Amino acid sequence: MTALSLKNINKSFGDIRVIQNINLDIKPGEFVVFVGPSGCGKSTLLRMIAGLEDISSGEFWIGDRRADQLPASERDIAMVFQSYALYPHMTLAENIGFPLRLAKLPKDQINNKVQEIASILQLEHLLDRKPGQISGGQRQRVAIGRSLARDPKVILLDEPLSNLDAALRLEMRIELAKLHKQLEATMIYVTHDQVEAMTLADRIVILNNGEIAQIGSPLELYQTPINTFVAEFIGSPKMNLFPASVNEKKSQKKSIQIIGSNDEFAVDTNQHPPQELQTGNQIQVGIRPEHLVPSDTGKIKGTVTSTEQLGSDTYIYFDSDTIKQAVARINGVASIRPGENICFAVAHEHYHLFTSKGNRIKPTVL
Amino acid sequence: MIKRSKIQTAIVYSSAILLGLVLLCPVLWLFIMSVSSTKDLTTLPLSWIPADISFNNYISLIGDFDSTSAESFLYALRNSLIVAISATVLSLSVAIPAAYSLSRLPGKRRSSLLFIAIATFMMPPVALVLPLYSAMASLGLLNTHIALIAVYCGVLVPFTTWLLKSNFDAIPIDLDEAPLIDGANRLQIIWYITLPIAKPALGAAALMAVLMAWDEFFYALLFTNDIRAKTLPVAIADFAAGRVADYGLISAAGILATIPPVSMAYFLQKSLVSGLMSGSVKG
Repeated sequence: MTALSLKNINKSFGDIRVIQNINLDIKPGEFVVFVGPSGCGKSTLLRMIAGLEDISSGEFWIGDRRADQLPASERDIAMVFQSYALYPHMTLAENIGFPLRLAKLPKDQINNKVQEIASILQLEHLLDRKPGQISGGQRQRVAIGRSLARDPKVILLDEPLSNLDAALRLEMRIELAKLHKQLEATMIYVTHDQVEAMTLADRIVILNNGEIAQIGSPLELYQTPINTFVAEFIGSPKMNLFPASVNEKKSQKKSIQIIGSNDEFAVDTNQHPPQELQTGNQIQVGIRPEHLVPSDTGKIKGTVTSTEQLGSDTYIYFDSDTIKQAVARINGVASIRPGENICFAVAHEHYHLFTSKGNRIKPTVL
Repeated sequence: MIKRSKIQTAIVYSSAILLGLVLLCPVLWLFIMSVSSTKDLTTLPLSWIPADISFNNYISLIGDFDSTSAESFLYALRNSLIVAISATVLSLSVAIPAAYSLSRLPGKRRSSLLFIAIATFMMPPVALVLPLYSAMASLGLLNTHIALIAVYCGVLVPFTTWLLKSNFDAIPIDLDEAPLIDGANRLQIIWYITLPIAKPALGAAALMAVLMAWDEFFYALLFTNDIRAKTLPVAIADFAAGRVADYGLISAAGILATIPPVSMAYFLQKSLVSGLMSGSVKG
């Protein structure tokens, strides 16, 4: 278990800055997930931590040792690659034992360690096979096994489950969570799958355009997204953003009205920076699909365009006056047809307010 | 798999047989010549089956140590082996790290370096032979193994580097980075990972290098002048250069000269068959 610390980390390829001012402290034994859309720099950041990419500027510390100039082999970090990167000419036992062979450990010691890892990962009966002779899920386990061989301080996982089918992915996800508890190792996990991020992480780091958009526990990100990017990225289906206007009200209060609806609610401007809630300002109101409840008296109106029945849930896509393809999520099976008019009610505590540029206005609602 | 009709199968097989005949007929004729008597070879029309078969030509090349033809043949065989193997080993030991660096390490200048190397490979030997000759002469290296080994390395290094580089390129970069994280240095990566995976390419490169050095005639003819350094192609040509060309003897020497490279190809064929890559990355 080791802490990691990134201070003002930058990375440029020529003139293009792919990683900008990353500041992040990872506690010993923590499970941190980097998540973001493709091209956001999450894999590059992971490779910089591993030592496979240079750090253009900034400091990187492993425990109390500065590591940004250390070669990958001396960082005591293990990595599981998205492609598994197993050595095709070696048996599984040789694959798992390879880091120990490089460390010049005696043979019987290597064998013991390989057996120990194989029993954790249920690979004992496959040790004589080569990577070409086993299934994808087993390859994934071997790749994890190889990363455990040296008892590394830190384990990096680069989209390790993306090549597996849905059922196997779920199974491996649970196993990874178990493994993390068992090993108590610091783990950094890169994924574009927010479900993996939400279920595995102690803390999630959301990256966008090479910058950290927000850091927090899964629920923090879900409940108080710092901007519309995070709000739309976390949660499935994604959050609806309705345009709204700020209206004047009596006694130092203002009200916010979702445009095209008569849904109006009061906010206490004493608690808000006035420039964000000036009368007449355009802002955005975010509402998660699960908080839109069909109701005859509901004030958010729309026309259903399509529905998706998932059995446990129904997704209702609708067009309101101001936004197209808004989505509501209803428990169970709902018998609503495309073309029908529909009204939704929303409890005001579920509103997320954002400026027109997309930054959160906090605290949200009175 | 698509099923072929009988006609298609017939066409495929007859083409294969035709190709086999075209390739093997000259070799067969060479063998027939080598066991025929001079009389059979000078009577027209030539016949496929000679009147009397004798292995005297082979005996005079490798059995009778006192004859001049055996002396020149066996010395030439030794010279060819020394030159071909040394040139191959030397050029591969340069080409492997060179190909790895060209394939894996960053830097724009590297790729232009490869183009320059390939360009020298494209130059006709005639353009190079005079300066090379005077250089070898002033170094006192004419008629030595070293002269031929050096010249052949000059030809083989660009060729094997290029061949290996394109094979190393096909190995996923993850298979370089994973051992790096496992604690390996670059040389260990080449030794433990890259070379075992590229074994078929390595076998092919070694085979091609040996063959090129074994068959080379032009430089060998100009840079050597007696049995101390003459290689087989030159020695065989010498058999034809006398007053009377003994075609049987030349053919026997030709057959014997093909044995080393053919047996090498036979032993390397296993490593030439690829398929090692399956299962290393993804599913």
